[in-house]
Amino acid sequence: MTPIAEIVDWGAMVNVIWTSFVAGIGVCAIFSLAIIGFARGADLRREGAMVGATLYFGLMAVAFAAVMAVVVFGVIVMTSK
Amino acid sequence: MDSDVILIIVVATALAFDFTNGFHDTANVVATSISTRAMAPKIAVTYAAILNFFGAFLSLAVAATIASGIVEADLITPLIVFGGLIGAIAWNLITWYFGLPSSSSHALIGGVVGAAFVAAGPEAIIGEGLLGKVVVPALLAPTLAFCVAGLSILVVYRMVGRQRPGPVTRGFKLGQVISGGLLALAHGTNDAQKTMGVITLALIASGHLGTGADPPFWVIVSAASAIALGTYMGGWRIIKTMGSRIIKMDAAQGFAAQGSGAAVILAATHVGFPLSTTHTISGAVMGAGAAKRVSAVRWGLAGNIVIAWILTLPASAAIGGLTYGLTRIFGEGALGPIVVSSVLIALIGWTFARRLRQGSAITAAETA
Repeated sequence: MTPIAEIVDWGAMVNVIWTSFVAGIGVCAIFSLAIIGFARGADLRREGAMVGATLYFGLMAVAFAAVMAVVVFGVIVMTSK
Repeated sequence: MDSDVILIIVVATALAFDFTNGFHDTANVVATSISTRAMAPKIAVTYAAILNFFGAFLSLAVAATIASGIVEADLITPLIVFGGLIGAIAWNLITWYFGLPSSSSHALIGGVVGAAFVAAGPEAIIGEGLLGKVVVPALLAPTLAFCVAGLSILVVYRMVGRQRPGPVTRGFKLGQVISGGLLALAHGTNDAQKTMGVITLALIASGHLGTGADPPFWVIVSAASAIALGTYMGGWRIIKTMGSRIIKMDAAQGFAAQGSGAAVILAATHVGFPLSTTHTISGAVMGAGAAKRVSAVRWGLAGNIVIAWILTLPASAAIGGLTYGLTRIFGEGALGPIVVSSVLIALIGWTFARRLRQGSAITAAETA
């Protein structure tokens, strides 16, 4: 009877755990940044603060692009496994 | 002649399993989006079905494996595969009837394990493989997703808590559409390949394909179509459970559950430690609810779901083993699968007719 310590790939499991935490929390945090950029940008534009609005919309664009990059990476993971 | 009839029955049964797989697992992809009204129910299942279909063409890397490393491969015969498929279909339908999300992959593995056990005894089963590839990932997936989604929603609330609710809700609804699309692609890629693998193995075993051959194009198209059609039909009972019965979720929770669930699934795939989509998304939904308020989760229902997960392997194995035993009563020819398939089709038809007479079917409109 093989002991459980030898059956389970502990190295892979530890990698799954930390990458899941980083990817999961990271994606949610970056998407939240995009939403903050959109919401604050819209507020500042309404108030006439165009420089601030532009900066916040820039933050939204960068954060959204980062999320889409994660999505593309996800598709690459699917196709290359 | 007999082997050709068995082949046709195995192919038809595999496509039927593929249909139930799509039907059963639609909830993983669309439940949170429907619940938060990010998408209308019919639009959500159509979107998921289209991405399921195209996802099936993305990769064929695992199409040649069925219960690989869990059952001795050289002992698998078309009748064992048939028994395994019937075990999986039956368990998918039973859990769908009770509105409980459970893993279609584990049901298929359980069915094949049960049929192989009855056919060749305990030496046909690789216990270490069963533990390492099924039991441990089944414990890890929901626990990990629960923790990741729980922390994610706390981070999200902390970050967007002071913003106006309108843009925040609209933004997270868009996020759900994106993460749902990614999950639908992943589901099509992973799960349609199982059916392609089953049909390809049956074609190899019957001499219609050479050893190590890739799935023919008609196999890929039919597997993609069956899972997409199943997804489009929508397993509304499970969608209702996942979307609104475990927790009443807002758009941020829906995104945290689905986004972090997708991240966990793809991170695990990337590392080479694949996890069940159903276990992961269910755990993430519970985590996103519990992090906001522990009492927000209906723990009684969550307990029933966990019991269904525990029962998946033994129950589908028992049905798979019983099916194999019944087919062998009629010898090794085609009569056994013909009789069993006919009885099963009659049983499913009777169950659906009975349920329709009761008029209690859950529809798309009721899930939102």
